Amino acid sequence: MQWTKKDLLCLYDLSAEEIEFILDTAAEFKKVSERRVKKVPALRGKTVVNLFVEPSTRTRVSFELAEQRLSADIVNMQAQSSSLLKGETLLDTVRNIEALQVDLVVMRHSAPGAQAFIARNLKCGVVNAGDGAHSHPTQALLDIFTVREKKGRIAGLKVAIIGDILHSRVARSNIWGLLKLGAQVTVAGPATLVPREFEEIGVRVCHNLREAVADADVVNLLRIQHERQTAGFFPSTGEYARFFGINDETLKYMKPDVLIMHPGPINRGVELTGDVADGEHSVILEQVTNGLAIRMAVLYLVAGCVKK
Amino acid sequence: MTLRKQLYSAAEMEEAIARMANAVAAAFPHPGAECALVGIHQLGVPLAERLRDAIRGITGQAPEFGKLDISMYRDDIGNRNPLPLIRETEIDFDVNDRIIILVDDVLSSGRTIRAALDALTDYGRPRMIRLAVLVDRGEPEYPIRADFVGFTSSLPADRKVAVSFGGDELAPGIYEVDWKK
Repeated sequence: MQWTKKDLLCLYDLSAEEIEFILDTAAEFKKVSERRVKKVPALRGKTVVNLFVEPSTRTRVSFELAEQRLSADIVNMQAQSSSLLKGETLLDTVRNIEALQVDLVVMRHSAPGAQAFIARNLKCGVVNAGDGAHSHPTQALLDIFTVREKKGRIAGLKVAIIGDILHSRVARSNIWGLLKLGAQVTVAGPATLVPREFEEIGVRVCHNLREAVADADVVNLLRIQHERQTAGFFPSTGEYARFFGINDETLKYMKPDVLIMHPGPINRGVELTGDVADGEHSVILEQVTNGLAIRMAVLYLVAGCVKK
Repeated sequence: MTLRKQLYSAAEMEEAIARMANAVAAAFPHPGAECALVGIHQLGVPLAERLRDAIRGITGQAPEFGKLDISMYRDDIGNRNPLPLIRETEIDFDVNDRIIILVDDVLSSGRTIRAALDALTDYGRPRMIRLAVLVDRGEPEYPIRADFVGFTSSLPADRKVAVSFGGDELAPGIYEVDWKK
């Protein structure tokens, strides 16, 4: 097969084959960052705008580095310093960007569907770096890539995603990707953050940690945000840690070769203890390395489909 | 693609590879120590494997072996839609100060070789780079020349030379085909 899309918006839109295609492409781009010369000319002469209307540090840096390693020219735009504050509509903002002969826009926005709307109205390629609680495709792709690298496959694996599933675009994107590739997915956490409705999309819902992780090959921990505590979703991070945090004790009833993952940034002592984060099961830092490879692969593939 | 006619048989192909291996062995009598064959995906790789085996048969030594995919170095990303899957690049040996023999099935425009030179020199500084091709069509678009050649062929520009080692639509051999983009 071949890649034919100028945008990457959501894993829900991709076939299993297309997802595997991205993973296989990323495997080759990973090697570039291991060479002496960590750059290829693939996007030379192409301009990429990083439009982070919702702020980000880690994802933005990862995309920026991926773009540099592809030899692209980069422009960074953040909400605080942009015309959006002056009341310009998002579509006008992006049309102005396109008028500068830009090839790709990497965008993060707090409104779900914003990137899809932009992509329909622009000739540029659009890469979704997160839209509200809806989708974060490159995060899910790097998570799935990490699992595939470590376990050799996705089909038949049991993956548990623990934490604030309700507000999580990482959870949703992971669910779409994992289900398409044949994994079994369990979501777990406090009942206030893990509603039963998620069963409708084909995942097991669990409100007990031990039950959720007992036969899991992969455990992916989502970051607990303090704003949720203030809003009353759970009483305290201490209580969350006691019931849903991963520590050396919980590891004892998990599989001996379980992978511990986290999209970052980690809250040591909340989602997991420092010992677990730094321990032999953790692949958290490899996720970061793989994120760079995935983003290089995605940018390369969509750039090839942007018509002048 | 539509098959027009067969240009060379599998046996003639094997003979040509043997001739090329002899030429390499004559030029570089210590291939194990000095040389590396780098096959360019896709068909340069099986060709390089056969060359390596033939060179080992003649000299008793096998040169280092690598594979190269030049997709990331193409000059036409965005012009040719869509992009095929990037295949495996494997350069496990030290490129510095080595004699690298790039291997590809057909030399036509020379742009693939231009991309391969850029890719290879990102791994280090070879002592020299030579080019081995099974079919040289003459008249490349870039000033690229082949050093070890199996066959020369002059066909009109709208015809493609297709090499097969078996395992796809064509039996092993070299063919003239129509090429529609």
